[in-house]
Amino acid sequence: MNSEQFSEERLNAFIDGELDALEKSDVFEALNNDNGLHQQACELRQLSELLRHAYEKPPEIEKYRKSDTSRVSPWGRAAAATLLVGVGATLGWFGHQQPQQQVADSMSAMYWDEHNAFQNTDLNQVTSAQHSKKIIVHLNTSSIARFEKALDTAEQLMKTYADSDMGTEIEVVANASAVKMLRTGYSPYADRVRELQDRYLNLTFLACKDAMDHVRELEDLKTDVTLLPDVDVTPSALEHILNRLSEGWVYLNV
Amino acid sequence: MKVIANLCKHQQFKRTLGEYRENLYRIAYSWCHNPALADDLVQEALTKALKNSGQLRDQKTLKAWLYRILSNCWRDHFRRSRDTVDIDDVILTDNDTPDTCHNRQQIINRVRNAIAYLPMGQRQVITLVDLEGCSYIEVAQILDVPIGTVMSRLSRARKALKERLLEAEVKGDSNVHPLRATT
Repeated sequence: MNSEQFSEERLNAFIDGELDALEKSDVFEALNNDNGLHQQACELRQLSELLRHAYEKPPEIEKYRKSDTSRVSPWGRAAAATLLVGVGATLGWFGHQQPQQQVADSMSAMYWDEHNAFQNTDLNQVTSAQHSKKIIVHLNTSSIARFEKALDTAEQLMKTYADSDMGTEIEVVANASAVKMLRTGYSPYADRVRELQDRYLNLTFLACKDAMDHVRELEDLKTDVTLLPDVDVTPSALEHILNRLSEGWVYLNV
Repeated sequence: MKVIANLCKHQQFKRTLGEYRENLYRIAYSWCHNPALADDLVQEALTKALKNSGQLRDQKTLKAWLYRILSNCWRDHFRRSRDTVDIDDVILTDNDTPDTCHNRQQIINRVRNAIAYLPMGQRQVITLVDLEGCSYIEVAQILDVPIGTVMSRLSRARKALKERLLEAEVKGDSNVHPLRATT
């Protein structure tokens, strides 16, 4: 069964929990076998989340003329992270065709300024202004090429900043289908990850628990997804990224 | 004693209605994008609900019943202001988008603008499903349309939102970025 056999209305009904058990099984099976359909389902869920976020706090009637300076809610964080991913992706991977030793020099990065607004900048420019070099590398697809680039980037950054005494820390965070790249038995880069972990103590790999739970649900597993050795788990990658941003880390999206 | 019992029942019902005020306001605001109007609509709906409480046969259907009253209030308001336009086909736009707002607020504004571009029929369906968690059957009852119409409106609404929010920049607005990674 493929995506062409599912009407958009049926996929919507699946997302909204309107299908019976048998119909759900059909859709789950199709989702496992059809990346396009899986992507569609993810987009529909994302839209629902965006919508809930947008109306989570409608203007208070007494104060609707005042600007909204409310604190960041969980939905806010999730949607902000969604924007982060989108903008990050549009920035492109500036350094990917450059000689490896110049990757860090030519890369566009993002960070939160003092008003918690996203700012785009050159990686070196922002890290030179900091007292430490703390960088988060984010992956959200299971593309082997992208994961390789993420590993190359992390390694290059560690090499570049290894001699500095600025407390370099790098985290490679995988969510959505990118979790596969940190999964035992699935990742083609298990040895490379191990090698980097051994070589650089300040390089950490993290997998998103939400994404792991989603995989577990899709594959009907009885136990948690098994990750590569010493890969940490964060309850929510997006929350984690936003926390890091609030702590002054620099964000790179692969 | 019967009078007191009825009075207590009335007070209890009033309190129960009050618990729905926030949800009703959110959904009304998502339809009209005008805080003052949304508040008026909620007030009108609650007043009607209180007045017609005897029509509610089953407490389990209270939520759908209230949304239906609210939808009727909104429809009445719209008809009063635009007699010749079918509410289901109307597209309202929200121009209240500050240039220099916060990024998180920008996301909210973009989504609300995208919602404002949907025809009202689609807007009501998608907000009832996604914001209030109504089932398709409940939405069909609230809006008094067949369930097939609910499904097709929802599908069209999400398709439009996807194009506007996830896939493409709004034409003529080079500052708008898609809200997800492009592959």
